[in-house]
Amino acid sequence: MTTKAGRGVAEMEPEKASQSSELLLGLYRSMLKCRMCDEKARVLFKQSKYGGNFYSAVGQEATEVGAAYSLRDDDWIAPSHRDWISNIIKGAPLKFCYAQLFAKATSPDRGRSSPAHMGYPPLNVITPASSIAGQLNVGTGVALGLKKLGRDTVVVAFFGDGATSIGGFHEALNFAGVHRLPVIYICQNNLWAESVPLRLQTAVSDLSVKAQAYGFPGVTVDGNDIMAVYDASVRAIARARAGEGPTLIECKTYRWYGHSEIDPAKYRIKEEVEAWKKKEPIGRFEKVLVEQKLLNDQKKAAMAAEITAEIDEAVDFAEKSPYPDASEATDFVWA
Amino acid sequence: MARSLNFIDALNEALHQEMERDERVFLLGEDIGVSGGVFKATAGLYDKFGEDRVMDTPLAEGIIIAAAIGSAMVGLRPIAEIQFTDFVTPAMDQIIQQAAKIRYRSAGGFDCPITVRICCGGGVSGGLYHSQENAAWFVHEPGLKVVMPSTAYDAKGMMLAAIRDPNPVIFFEHKKLYRTAKGDVPEGDYVVPIGPVAVRREGKDMTVLTYGFMTQVALDAADELAKQGVEVEVVDVRTLNPLDKDGILASVRKTSKCLIVHEDKRTMGIGAELAAIVAEEAFEDLDGPIVRITGPDIPAIPFSPPLEKFFLVNKEKIVAAMESLAKY
Repeated sequence: MTTKAGRGVAEMEPEKASQSSELLLGLYRSMLKCRMCDEKARVLFKQSKYGGNFYSAVGQEATEVGAAYSLRDDDWIAPSHRDWISNIIKGAPLKFCYAQLFAKATSPDRGRSSPAHMGYPPLNVITPASSIAGQLNVGTGVALGLKKLGRDTVVVAFFGDGATSIGGFHEALNFAGVHRLPVIYICQNNLWAESVPLRLQTAVSDLSVKAQAYGFPGVTVDGNDIMAVYDASVRAIARARAGEGPTLIECKTYRWYGHSEIDPAKYRIKEEVEAWKKKEPIGRFEKVLVEQKLLNDQKKAAMAAEITAEIDEAVDFAEKSPYPDASEATDFVWA
Repeated sequence: MARSLNFIDALNEALHQEMERDERVFLLGEDIGVSGGVFKATAGLYDKFGEDRVMDTPLAEGIIIAAAIGSAMVGLRPIAEIQFTDFVTPAMDQIIQQAAKIRYRSAGGFDCPITVRICCGGGVSGGLYHSQENAAWFVHEPGLKVVMPSTAYDAKGMMLAAIRDPNPVIFFEHKKLYRTAKGDVPEGDYVVPIGPVAVRREGKDMTVLTYGFMTQVALDAADELAKQGVEVEVVDVRTLNPLDKDGILASVRKTSKCLIVHEDKRTMGIGAELAAIVAEEAFEDLDGPIVRITGPDIPAIPFSPPLEKFFLVNKEKIVAAMESLAKY
C-alpha cells in the first residue's frame, strides 16, 4: 500500500490485518460471487429479462469487497449506482438482489428504483438516488446521527471519480472532518466518469489529496489489489469506530464495460482496456492463493458451482415473483 | 395559562419545550448557536442545551439538510434552519431528491422525520435575495409536508406538530410576522395539526384563500369590505401540502366567490393550484370568476422602495379586487 497524500493511513498505528486462510478464501469467494452475479445481471439484461439499465462493476470487485467485507451487520453502506454488489457483500439475500433487477414486488423497494439502484434497509444499505454524490451526503448525515447516539457503528460511502467534482462531495468531507465523523469514503477511481476521462475531471493525479483540505487522512491504494484495499479499509474502519474520524481511500481501478449496458464505451482505446484486464483483481489474487496452496482448480470449480446454484435459485425466485400491483404506486409517499 | 407572545417568541418556546421533552431533537444551521439566529429564533437554546444539540454548521446548505436527513434515518429528530429561503437552492438536491423520496424509494425502509425551518418573505427592504417567498417550489413534491403559519399560536403549535411528524416538514416563517403577529399562546404543550385550514374570519359573501403574512393583510382588507356591507370569509391555508381540499371547498361553496391572495409570483404559483381545485370541484357553486391577487412575474422583489412596493400585495390591492368581485 502506498501513501501519497495527507496524513496517510500508513502513518497510523500499524495493525496488520489478520491473514488467516479463512479470511483470504472468504475475500476470494466474495469477489468471485460478485463477479459471477454481476456477469449474470448483464446477461439477463441482454436477454431483455428486465428493462431500464444496469451499471456493471466487473473489474472493480477488489474495491467493493475490500472496503465492505469486514463491516458488521449494524454498520452502514451508502452505495452509488455502480454498487449493486455491495448489497451482496453486506449479506442481502441474493434472491432479493435479482428481484430488484426484475422490479418485482419481492424487491426491497417493491419495484420503485431502477434496477441497479438497490439498498437493503434490514442491513443498513441505503437505497440510493441517482444523484451523483447524493448518498455521500446522506451517508455523512447517518454518521453524524450514529456519533450523536454514541454508537461505534460506521458508514462506508462509495462513489466514483466523477463525484469528487461535485460541490456536495466537498460539503460532506468538510463536515465529516469538522465533526470527526465515523465515515469511510471509498472513491472508486476507474478513470472514466461515463465518457469523461480523469484529466478533464481533475488537475490532481491522486484524488486522495483532497482529504488534506478537510483535515483527515487520505490514502491512495491499488484498487485491484484486494489485500491493499482490505488493509486500508480495516484500519480506516477501526479509526472511525474509535471516534478518530473519517478517512478517504482512493482505489485506483477500472471498469471493464461501459458506464452502463447501453454504453459501448467507444471513447476508450482497446489497449487501455486490455492492459487493465491483465491487472484484474480476481485472477491476480487467485495466483497468490494457489501459490499458498489455499486454492486449486478443483476447489475453485466447487466454489463456482456453489455460486452458480445460488444464482440460479435467486434468478428463478425473481422471475417467478409477481410484479407489484399498479395500485401500490401510491404507497409509501407519506409515513 | 396563555399569555400574549410574538410569533418568534412562540416559536422559540416551542423549540425550548420540545428539546426538553425529547432528547432526540437537535438543531443545526448557520448562526443558530452562539448568536441565536439572525432573527433570534433560536436565542437561549445554545446556552441551555450546548453545542451538540444546537450546532452551528459550516456555511453549506446542502450538508445542513443531508446531515439532518441521515440523522433522522437513524432515529433522531433534527431541526435544520435555512437562514433565508433565497439560499435554499444549494440544498434542493437533498430536499427534493433525498428527503422527499427516501421513504418512497425504499418502500418504507427508511423514514425521514426532519423539520426544515426556512425564513421567507418580503416587505423589509431585503432586496432580491433576502425577500423571496418560494413555497411553490416545494409543494410540487409529494413526500414533503409544507406549512406556513400566520399566527403566534400556530407558530408554536405547528412547530410541535412538525417536529413530531414522521415525514419531512418544510416550515416556512414569514419574517414580517416574527414581531408583528402577536397573540395568546398557551404556556403548555399543544399541537396544531398539519393539514386543516383555519377560518380566520367568517363571512357569507366571498372567500379569500391565503396564507402566511398575507392572511393578516387579507383580514385588514376584509375589515374595509365589512364597512361596505360585504362579509368576507378569510381562510388561512396554513398547510400548503397536503392541501385541505375539504376545508377550502366548504368555504367556497358557502360564499360562491373565491379570491386567492399570495405574495409570491403569479404564474404556476400556489394560487394556480387553488384556483384549479375550486374550478374542478366547485364550478357549479361559483357566482363569479376565480380571482388571483399575487406578486408580479418578475424574478424577485427589487430593493428600491418604489420597486418593492410595486411587487408587494397590500391592503389596497386586495380591497380593490374584493370590491370588483363583490359586484358579481
